[in-house]
Amino acid sequence: MLYLELFFQGIVQGSIYALIALGLTLVYGLLRILHVAHAALFTLGGYLGVIVTNATGSFLLATAVAMIVVGFVGIAVYKLAYEPLLSKPPFISLIASIALFIASEEIFRIIFGPYGLSYTNPPMQGYFELFGGFFLKYGEALVIVLSVVMLVILGWFAATTRLGVSWRATVTDPDMARAFGINTQNVRYMNFFIGSALAAAAGVLVAMLNNLVEPSMGSVASYKALAIIVLGGLGSIRGTLIAAMAIGIIESFGTIYIGHLLDRDALAFAFLIVVLMIRPQGLLGAK
Amino acid sequence: MAYEITLITTMAISILFALSLNFITGFCGQISLGHAAFMGVGAYTSAVMIKAGCPFLLTIPFAGTFAGLLGVLVGFASLRVRHDFLAITTMGVVFLFVGLVRQQEFLGGEIGISGIRGSPFGRIGFMCICLGLAAGFAMFSLAIKRSWMGYVFASIADNEDISRVLGIDVSKYKLIAFVVGTSTAGIAGALYTQHFRFVGPDSFGFVESITVLAMVIVGGIGSVWGVAVAAAFLSVMPLLFQFVNDFKILVYGALLFCMMRWAPDGFAGIISRWIKRLRSTS
Amino acid sequence: MKIKSKLMMATVCLASIASSSIADNIKVGFNVPLTGFAAADGTSALNGAELAVEQINSAGGINGDIIELVVYDDQASPKESVPIAQKLIESDNVVAAVSGSYSGATRAAAGIFQESGVPYISAYAIHPDITRAGDYVFRTSFVGEVQGRAGAKLAGEMLGLKKAVVVTLQNDFGKSLVAGFKEVSANYGIDIVGEYEYSIKDRQFGPIVSKIRADNPDVIYATGYFFTAGPLVSQLRAAGITTTIIGQEGYDSQKFIDIAGTAAEGTIITTSLDRDSTAVETQDFITAFEAKSGNKTDMVAASAHTAIKVLAAALQSSGDADRAALRDAIAGTQLTASTGDISFNDLGEVQKSVQVQVVKDGQWHHHSVIHDAALLAPPTE
Repeated sequence: MLYLELFFQGIVQGSIYALIALGLTLVYGLLRILHVAHAALFTLGGYLGVIVTNATGSFLLATAVAMIVVGFVGIAVYKLAYEPLLSKPPFISLIASIALFIASEEIFRIIFGPYGLSYTNPPMQGYFELFGGFFLKYGEALVIVLSVVMLVILGWFAATTRLGVSWRATVTDPDMARAFGINTQNVRYMNFFIGSALAAAAGVLVAMLNNLVEPSMGSVASYKALAIIVLGGLGSIRGTLIAAMAIGIIESFGTIYIGHLLDRDALAFAFLIVVLMIRPQGLLGAK
Repeated sequence: MAYEITLITTMAISILFALSLNFITGFCGQISLGHAAFMGVGAYTSAVMIKAGCPFLLTIPFAGTFAGLLGVLVGFASLRVRHDFLAITTMGVVFLFVGLVRQQEFLGGEIGISGIRGSPFGRIGFMCICLGLAAGFAMFSLAIKRSWMGYVFASIADNEDISRVLGIDVSKYKLIAFVVGTSTAGIAGALYTQHFRFVGPDSFGFVESITVLAMVIVGGIGSVWGVAVAAAFLSVMPLLFQFVNDFKILVYGALLFCMMRWAPDGFAGIISRWIKRLRSTS
Repeated sequence: MKIKSKLMMATVCLASIASSSIADNIKVGFNVPLTGFAAADGTSALNGAELAVEQINSAGGINGDIIELVVYDDQASPKESVPIAQKLIESDNVVAAVSGSYSGATRAAAGIFQESGVPYISAYAIHPDITRAGDYVFRTSFVGEVQGRAGAKLAGEMLGLKKAVVVTLQNDFGKSLVAGFKEVSANYGIDIVGEYEYSIKDRQFGPIVSKIRADNPDVIYATGYFFTAGPLVSQLRAAGITTTIIGQEGYDSQKFIDIAGTAAEGTIITTSLDRDSTAVETQDFITAFEAKSGNKTDMVAASAHTAIKVLAAALQSSGDADRAALRDAIAGTQLTASTGDISFNDLGEVQKSVQVQVVKDGQWHHHSVIHDAALLAPPTE
């Protein structure tokens, strides 16, 4: 039963990683940019989630507000940081993104204080006790359910709606898409909106699981998400999802059984390096 | 006076460190997000040796060698993975380094190694050593840049595949770049140990790797002068900006962003445009 | 004309006499993390130190001279604290300094202060080598191992809980606490059935929680700071684990209770601050701190406050004499401060009892005190 629980804990963590890393993959797939500042949007989502819940009492409303607001902030980040740098070599936008992230952590600290914020009435306390002593907290179950729901909606959107199809077309072949009259600018906006909204959702969920948002809560996400999208094979959405789950599960078992040898991050990166040595293009990357 | 000497020494060590990354990233186009790991290897090697009684100068070649050995390993990895994959792999290297070091008791574990003897040459003598090494490596970099090796590096940085088609042994040169760059970072690490007299697992992590990469890019990737100036400035910026106190890091992030946004070719770019403007008006 | 110029001369003379009789400020250096990952503790420490300075100055200062705190942000990094130490000594000419920062930064700076013969008091940093830098360096808080040993006695002997799980924060603070705990755990009949580690960046403890439930211990000895312990305790309770949790001074902040909410009830910690203390110094500190900063007190603020008070007392007794005399005065401190009775051994380590606090009704309250001098003896070399 313990192993099953550890496996599920890995899925929970993996779901959160997936929500964050997906936005990163979307941006990379479209623009070949490593969007480190994405983690700042994750943090912003978490803060908004706590603030709105504390103000209105509704966790659902807070989640919606966080996702929508951060979605637009994501578009703003694109316009501010990436659009002007598209013609430059990619390491320029990488450093610009990192600079933006560093500044954002400080802005959070200056505005909201260094101590972090908590829910006054933490939602989702309590746990399920299922067959044979298997425990799963309400919050953890919500994470898994919500992630699945969002991914399904995203998949449906990309496959069936007009916007979704034009989005996929642009990612696959921007010039061809433009030739067909697709407004690549709008597609980019949508890309950032969706990715950022997912990150915000991840932030809200993490805030709910930990009952704490802090200015530096995005720091792990900033580099872990990079590792995940590389592991998945840069640009592959399916690869990112699989990589996120893999890292989540590896960390879950690893921290318990070999935690005295390597810490969590070292474990994740050790796994990444091993995979890349065997498959340099990542799990599902194109050769 | 000792305060100013300390600042200059810090700048010299940072210049050496940044120039070593410039060799790999600027000259040869291999983006490394984990360069601090090599400085860390050098720093810890030197620390362990000094605590065991070795004289400081003796630790320098050992620091460089061990760092270079790790550099060879990472260099081989760079042959396997490319571009963005390489960048993230190098990031992984530094996390692995930190993760391993903090669990080894003989390296001090979480507590690190402290109580390291001061330099036998005194503050000023040590400052001169650091300045000398920094200047020496700068000269060396400039010489390489203008040599045929520099041209080969530039060709690889520009387009690896075409270089290979032209008959260049890309692998060999990438490895050379890595070995030179990482062993020099190791030497910088030995200097760090002697200067701060304390090494801990938190001193050589991802943040430090990003900082030194920022120095290279702000300086103007590939430009020896630009990187040296950027390193000198950025290394002491938190101290110069103490008056801003709480807003230090915000100012740093904002400045860095503005540099990328409006002067992406760095100090070198700014200076060369300024010189061009002067020439065209005269 | 003559009268006017005479008046002007008189004014100038009076002004110069007045300015020369304005007291010289006594400058005390203070390095503290105000930005970066440790900003929360640094901000608290600064508040505690500033409160002490205000109290001393409003009570007449040191023989008429007021204390001026020269504050620099060191981001809890040795790279920053070393040049800051030098700046304090050379540019700012401080008579002594206090560290409100973490171990790495304090240890690096301590070497500089020792070399220059400037007394340096570490408020709460835990690294054992800090006081080994030399006889000019002192520490007003517990060394990690000492507090860890107290935790073992608390668990095994005072609470009678024998089956333990140890959760270690992977940094010098967490590791040294656990080292102390394990050093004497066998003496109290404690059997450690599980040991787990986590990084200072972790807030999600799902796997550890699951494993602890499988281990089914009588007591959980978990090291961490409020921002890691809060989520950990919250997640343990939310998973239905009712085992007693013993923490340390890293938990000692109202923020821990804010984060963990009702889950915090019953958490016991070893620390230096007794909120129910009847001692005047402690109660005065608590009231004054809450009035000044708007936040409840925490261990970090109390430690910084104590360090400044110790320094001030030494400055008072050593008068205008040199730094060596100041150092001797500090070494001979016998002071009752907010964190207890302070006196130093030959190494500069403090010798005092361990307070044990427990969360009751959403507040920290007195639980017990551990007086065991032999157990709590700090290192002497």
